[in-house]
Amino acid sequence: MPHGMEIIDMKKRAEPDFQSSEVWSKVTGKAVYGSDLKLPGMLYGKIVRSPHPHARIKKIDLEAAQKITGVRAFLVAAELPDKPYGIVVDDELPLALDRVRYIGDEVAAVAAVDYETAAKAVRAIRVDYEPLPAVFDPREALNPDAPQLHEQFRGNLAWERNLKRGNSDQAFREAEVVVENRFSIPAVHSTYLEPTVCVAVDDPYEGLIIHTAVQSPDLVREIIAKVLERPLSKVRIICPVMGGGFGGRVYGNLKLYILSSLLAIKTGRPVKMKLTREEEFLVGRPLISAEMHLKMAFKRDGTILAREADIVTDNGAYSAQAPWVSKTLSERNDSVYHIPNIKTRVRLAYTNKIPTGQYRAYGNQAANFATESLLDMAAENLGLDPLELRLKNCVKTGDTTVHGLQIKSCSLSECLQAAAEEIGWHKRKEGRGYGISAAIHSNGSLVLFKNFRGASALARLELDGRVSIFSGEQDYGQGTHATFTLIAAKALGLNPDLITVYSRDTLSTPHSIGALGMRQTTIGGKAVQLAAERLRELIVQTAADLSEVPVMMERGILKSSSGRIIELSLVAYHHHSLTSGLSLVGEGRYVPAPSAYDETGYGNIAVTYSFAAHGVEVEVDKTTGAITVHKIVAAHDSGKIINHISALGQVYGGATQGLGMSSYEGYIFEEGRVVNTSLAEYRIPTSLDVPVIVPLFIETEDPEGPFGAKGLGEIVQIPVLGAVANAVADAAGVRVTDLPITAEKVFRLLSGWECEA
Amino acid sequence: MSYVKAANLQEALNLLKTSTPRPRVIAGGTDLFLQDWPGCLIDISFLDDLKIIEEKDEVLEIGSGVTHAMAAGSDLVKYKATALAEACTMVGSPQIRNMGTLGGNVINAAPAADAAVALVALGAEGVLIDCGNSIRRMPVDKLYAGYNHSVVDCGSEILLKFVFEPCKPDEGSAFVRFAARRALALPMVNAAARIRIKDGLISAVHLVVAPVKPAPTRLLKTEAKLCGKPVGEETWFEAEQLAAGEAEVRGSLLRCSADYRKHLVGVLAGRVLRTAALRALERKV
Amino acid sequence: MEKARINFILNGEAVEVYADPSRSLLYLLREDFGLTGTKEGCGQGECGACTVLLDDLAVNSCLIPAGKIAGCSVVTIEALSREGEPDFVQKAFVKKGAVQCGFCTPGMVMSAHALLKENTDPSSEEVKMAISGNLCRCTGYKQIEEAIMLAAEQLKDRPT
Repeated sequence: MPHGMEIIDMKKRAEPDFQSSEVWSKVTGKAVYGSDLKLPGMLYGKIVRSPHPHARIKKIDLEAAQKITGVRAFLVAAELPDKPYGIVVDDELPLALDRVRYIGDEVAAVAAVDYETAAKAVRAIRVDYEPLPAVFDPREALNPDAPQLHEQFRGNLAWERNLKRGNSDQAFREAEVVVENRFSIPAVHSTYLEPTVCVAVDDPYEGLIIHTAVQSPDLVREIIAKVLERPLSKVRIICPVMGGGFGGRVYGNLKLYILSSLLAIKTGRPVKMKLTREEEFLVGRPLISAEMHLKMAFKRDGTILAREADIVTDNGAYSAQAPWVSKTLSERNDSVYHIPNIKTRVRLAYTNKIPTGQYRAYGNQAANFATESLLDMAAENLGLDPLELRLKNCVKTGDTTVHGLQIKSCSLSECLQAAAEEIGWHKRKEGRGYGISAAIHSNGSLVLFKNFRGASALARLELDGRVSIFSGEQDYGQGTHATFTLIAAKALGLNPDLITVYSRDTLSTPHSIGALGMRQTTIGGKAVQLAAERLRELIVQTAADLSEVPVMMERGILKSSSGRIIELSLVAYHHHSLTSGLSLVGEGRYVPAPSAYDETGYGNIAVTYSFAAHGVEVEVDKTTGAITVHKIVAAHDSGKIINHISALGQVYGGATQGLGMSSYEGYIFEEGRVVNTSLAEYRIPTSLDVPVIVPLFIETEDPEGPFGAKGLGEIVQIPVLGAVANAVADAAGVRVTDLPITAEKVFRLLSGWECEA
Repeated sequence: MSYVKAANLQEALNLLKTSTPRPRVIAGGTDLFLQDWPGCLIDISFLDDLKIIEEKDEVLEIGSGVTHAMAAGSDLVKYKATALAEACTMVGSPQIRNMGTLGGNVINAAPAADAAVALVALGAEGVLIDCGNSIRRMPVDKLYAGYNHSVVDCGSEILLKFVFEPCKPDEGSAFVRFAARRALALPMVNAAARIRIKDGLISAVHLVVAPVKPAPTRLLKTEAKLCGKPVGEETWFEAEQLAAGEAEVRGSLLRCSADYRKHLVGVLAGRVLRTAALRALERKV
Repeated sequence: MEKARINFILNGEAVEVYADPSRSLLYLLREDFGLTGTKEGCGQGECGACTVLLDDLAVNSCLIPAGKIAGCSVVTIEALSREGEPDFVQKAFVKKGAVQCGFCTPGMVMSAHALLKENTDPSSEEVKMAISGNLCRCTGYKQIEEAIMLAAEQLKDRPT
């Protein structure tokens, strides 16, 4: 292990575990989630959804529904603004106006005195459709004679990118070994345990207040304000406790928030709407599915020369975030290894299927599965140990990758070696298969919103001597509040119990991009650090004014040069009286320098990057193809770990999600309809399905992150996919290249049967 | 009254006869709750009469109100009807097993309902009583009218119990299932067997693999060919081929394709027979 | 269904409610009694977030019709910290970092209690089996298992 790096022994770590005191309200059942909210006069809304994947709307007949007692309002597209909105592309309306484009597309909405009545009204609304030809396969959709979904997107091409670095064609000509394969990844859902829910209130004075748990409340309210044509400052989001997010709640279900707001405006009463679990799968937005043709060129000694990719991603009926996700999917993984020549073509195709959103690693995990699988195929071809092949090519501290990413801290080699060592790479058990995989993920983005690259936070000294931190970053259970508390505590030298983090009300917190892009700790946390440090300065200054002699603050205690201890609350009151009511507030602004990102997308895209390598041990029963995953070793470089107990939870949970995606999960469609719309049929791992998971943290000291920390929350899931794929191929002797890797798929390959259509 | 918890069996039968609107019986409710709700329900899940597990005159009687958890935890079932105990431990989840009854499992009539598969392999009969108090007995596999459709009329009769001969010292039974996940998963294929070994040869065997037909059904041709064969790997291998050959299976989008399912039928048949035979041999000593 | 009076024991207290017997116990608890600690994750018995104890057994309250609970004892998460002090299982959950988003937590805690009522010295396999009907998407279950093992250990150390 190089100087400055060590694998931290979680059992011997010095700092005691710290968690937000909110865990007590959660464990006693007192925490208030969206579904627990009840406001006086509240109505309940439900949505009429299209049963057709593609159809013209001829008529909407509300007559029978209007006669039902207890119904208070209806919404149809004809009465709403007809300006399309979206996240990347403006291609959606709050309700379908003349055409529906997927099964589940929102056609009308109802508000009633309770859910049963609203559901009755939904059933009584008659919609006359004229079905249109539909297209479900993205490659078919790109054909010129396929049914067109959107007028402004000829050929159903929602987004496209052709990316070149170096000279890939030449590299392939000169290569000594070339491997190539096709990989496919189905749509997968975040499957947070709390179904989406919101309560919208239209207050005549305060404006619109939406109670809903989202990871990026400011991004969500910007869109809502635009759609509803309300001033942004009069659209407020208050987040109840969130029952999981994992990326699926960054923008959440915008339709639901918009429709409940519109119903609240129309009725003048609070309106609650939720998605049933079935609706979560039918219309909740999954991660895009992708088909990737990959080709890699090597020298005989294993040096990677080039990578060529032809990728088609499935947009579904509306774009939402899919162009961004497709971009990440098509390029992020390229920076794990030195790949001097790249040629990538990505096409995002509209289809008459469910629109998509995001999930944890934003497509990076799909690319990991494909690339890491191909690397092992190359290793076999080259006669090299897959571990050695990776060590030979992986990036290191100080490197600039093929897309211009600047690696300031990196222990990827050490992670690979540690994972391999721990999984038993060189001490293999009889009848077991072993796989390894490496990953990178960026911490925040300098280029997603070019003019909003960082974060800010406020640290306020309260009259009682406690400190409040205001941040727009969100905690959905991944421990952001606790991490920020520890950062602020360290910066101020205070006991963490004296610090409270507030993040759930857009009225009182600084604007934030929110919990996406693995930026909470690195970016949001840095702002907290700066805010706390600034507050500390202000405290010392004010105390000095108060005592008229120099003052020092150490370990949370203010002492004047004459030895007198000054209570923090005294300092607070002093400022309070000097200003007639203001508090000492430290502003923390973390504004990373802009990136020299050019129009080809070359440039440093984030302030720093996290790395990971996972090793997996499996057993395959060749009589049925059944796979048993025995062990996952997760070696992570997330800089200095601030919150250990939470870091462990992230690894166990994230690796389990990765296992879900590699082995169990995936949307199944039939004529455009999602078939597995329940938790029984969309299967996430249960307690009996989870193997032994061994987390290893290889600490580096990152120059950017707060106290050397880097993000962990998204990268935990990524390498599992490649590692499981490789382990199964090692055990079975055949390789499944379509996720999820199931017993049947393994068996079909082993028996030489044709794969299912 | 639209929902009545019957105090005893006779009251339940009387209520079935006299209640309006048309009543039906509810036991655990874990399947019924998600289906169409009738206007009137008679809850029989608390009747002690229906919760018996006992051996009487060389017959094992298991009440229809016995939950999966009760059957899985009963020493009598574990020892003398092992296939049933095993099947019951694998259904759904602990929460479902605490409420779902064996009677409900059979009446819900899913083609691969785990407990039902085990009961058929064990040779169980269902004992029914109607609101005229007349009793009839039917083999469990004859209680199915079609896919997810029971012969039992829950508006006029009550399934009282299952009866069958407990496994003797020269017999063994076993149950296996193959599913996509280790809990909360419906099976792709499950199988149960009851076997008697005499002098190292199979002297009697019941083999059920599901889902093959609407009702869990014994593979009679396979059973016939296996009788007289010696216990051993060659026989189990032959059983795999026979079972896969005899079973007509369908593929499903959510579970697995037909040819893979057929293959699993064979594999599970071999496994369940091997385990049941081992148990028969162990008990003899 | 026609509403009826239903008497049962809720968290140790005799209560009466006038409700449609086909209403799920989950909604009865959350809406009629305002006990929102029990959560709805799916409404179909497939996730365990709604787990409560019915006569000491862990059940999915979303699948229990209100008519069924007449005369029975129902225990929800709220009963465990009645005096304002979390109980030993809840403390173990917090100690081991088993609570992330917290949505599965009440169901997990109730399943843990159901296990410990009938088995005071469970193996880790038995713990896994006891929570196999409770889905969690955040934690990967490991810290939850450790919490339940810790709670079991503490049961052993208690004076009887």
